[in-house]
Amino acid sequence: MQTLNSLFALLIFPGGLSLLAAGLLYEWIDRKLLAQFQNRIGPRWFQPLADVLKLLAKEEIIPEGVDRRLFIGLPVIALAGGLTAALYAPLWGFAPAFSFQGDLVVTLYLLSLLTLCIGLAGANTLDRFSLVGATRTLTQLFSYEAPFLLALLGPAIAAGSWQISDISAYAQQHWMVLAQPLGFIVILIGLMGKLELPPFDAPEAETEIVAGALTEYSGRGLALFRLGKGVEMVVGLALVAAFYLGGAGNPLLFIAKTLGLLFIVAGVQSLLARMRIDQTVGLWWRYGALFVLAQWIFILGQRVMG
Amino acid sequence: MIEERKRERFTVPIGPQHPALKEPGHFQFTVEGEIVTEASVRLGYAHRGIEKAAEGRNWVQNLYLVERICGICSHIHATAFSLGVEQLAGVEAPPRAQAIRTLVAELERIHSHLLWLGVAAHEAGFDTLFMYSWRDRETVMDLLEELTGNRVNYSANLLGGVKFDISQAQMEAILQGLDFLETRTYHYLEVVNSDTLFLQRTRGVGVMTRSQAELLGAVGPTARASGVVRDVRVEAPYAGYIDFPVHPVVEKAGDLEARFVVRMKELLESYFLIRGILAHLPEGEINARLPRRIKPGEAIVRVEAPRGELLYFIKSNGSDTPERVKVRTPTICNMTSVIKLAVGHQLADIPMILAGIDPCFSCNDRSVLIRRSDSEQHWDWETLRQYGNRFYHANAK
Repeated sequence: MQTLNSLFALLIFPGGLSLLAAGLLYEWIDRKLLAQFQNRIGPRWFQPLADVLKLLAKEEIIPEGVDRRLFIGLPVIALAGGLTAALYAPLWGFAPAFSFQGDLVVTLYLLSLLTLCIGLAGANTLDRFSLVGATRTLTQLFSYEAPFLLALLGPAIAAGSWQISDISAYAQQHWMVLAQPLGFIVILIGLMGKLELPPFDAPEAETEIVAGALTEYSGRGLALFRLGKGVEMVVGLALVAAFYLGGAGNPLLFIAKTLGLLFIVAGVQSLLARMRIDQTVGLWWRYGALFVLAQWIFILGQRVMG
Repeated sequence: MIEERKRERFTVPIGPQHPALKEPGHFQFTVEGEIVTEASVRLGYAHRGIEKAAEGRNWVQNLYLVERICGICSHIHATAFSLGVEQLAGVEAPPRAQAIRTLVAELERIHSHLLWLGVAAHEAGFDTLFMYSWRDRETVMDLLEELTGNRVNYSANLLGGVKFDISQAQMEAILQGLDFLETRTYHYLEVVNSDTLFLQRTRGVGVMTRSQAELLGAVGPTARASGVVRDVRVEAPYAGYIDFPVHPVVEKAGDLEARFVVRMKELLESYFLIRGILAHLPEGEINARLPRRIKPGEAIVRVEAPRGELLYFIKSNGSDTPERVKVRTPTICNMTSVIKLAVGHQLADIPMILAGIDPCFSCNDRSVLIRRSDSEQHWDWETLRQYGNRFYHANAK
């Protein structure tokens, strides 16, 4: 029975299939909102699904000069990383499927796996756009990762635990967005950097380097990477909502919160022009890191005082 | 080892097929990290042999041919050609026709500049500005369709005049459209001048100094953004610009921001000009008769296309076909500036620098035949076609 339950959690709900479907749905909502903000009509609701099905059905072209095992394996690892991370996240406001002391660190690591895989996938090919894209992807990873991590650890310090379920339980009593507004801003912008959404889409800037690190990917590999991004978006939004917006709880309310966050993310996307990679690095280390440090000093000060 | 690494060059090819280019052109940028150290360009992928084709068609047919040189500034090509032929024939189009030509030319400039605004914003990854400016561009496209029946290739010109007159209702529609566009243009001017992230991508990027602009022979808004007062409408007024003078818009900075500002302010200038034309539209005929055969002679016409100076050289030998039509489009004059400015910039800035001159590749592609002592100077259409077939056959892999 225990095994069956685990399998169900892994493959059907809250992870696995339902998560993939949610990823596609969130991708659609993001695209639709962006389109509306930009005075366009936007895609129909099944467009992301249709894209993925089309890609899965297509031939996967493996270019010359790549390590075949890596080329095929990296998208799988990327998606697996996202799906595994989801097991520790309070999706839909339910308690995480699995939980242990310190799972926050593991989740963050798993979430970074996607970006790392994209970077490696780009570096694996000989294509020049991919190589430039890979360099940018990894540069961006190193710029937002530390502030992003510290912003997620802020609530952990406040809750006095490194376990996601504990933090989210603590957050149900305390709305962190009020206690730690700077951390909230950093984590939301950091999530956009993680997902390479505009204005942080320099790693895949189509007018410069075509599709960046994924230029050589087609068919199944590309589909898996896209699914991975969708999953990461859902997990990321769930974590932000659980940590900063009143924790897990009523599923409907929780989904509404994540959609609200998505609304903000789409709005920011439509407002800003793409940043150059050096500007992205500058932004994160000059402002992002400073914001988070200020937040930390505040949190530590609170703990010392109170 | 270090020596070897130095010789290893990492070249990023942009084109012939690339999302940043809407037409084929080939650029090679050698980069060190993200910084461009060398740049080169190869043009000619969209060569269509139009100049040669013009020699086999009569004067009237050529009017339609040259209008298809450029899909965006089609009207100005036909205007330049008509002006040249009229000059050769010694006939002048009536004032009302000249005013209507100018009116359509300015509407075309509006559509071209708004199109450019969208493309340039897209190159900077600012898709919202792209979508909005193209939505607003529909206003002027509709006006052009209302006037001429076409959204592109308006075919407004005749040799010796224009095809249509403007009705009162059309005038009102134009004025109404301009009012809307004017408020939008002020808004865009504010956006390109104040949006912090966008300014990070444009201010101080791709700076072309005044002396550089003069040395490289830049034309049009590209030159005017560098402080060079170079506008054919002002220097050598033609058609309606004699009666309706234009104030040149000049900015000093020479960076991408200045190019945005110049084009936005030119839009405002165009609105002003069109209102002036509509208010004082001369009465009278809209075309003059032209003979089928044009007197022998040569004519040079310079007009200001949306992208800069457009030059036509037309030679007639007294028959019903031109002996030679030579077209020099503004893009070819500005192309060298891209190569010059790219060096030292980041790879990410290149698409914007390239878009900054508003390039139009198929317009500028020409073939040059270098005359050697043993080669024939004159090729007829069939020989050229056979040469082309042989060339591509031999070079096909």
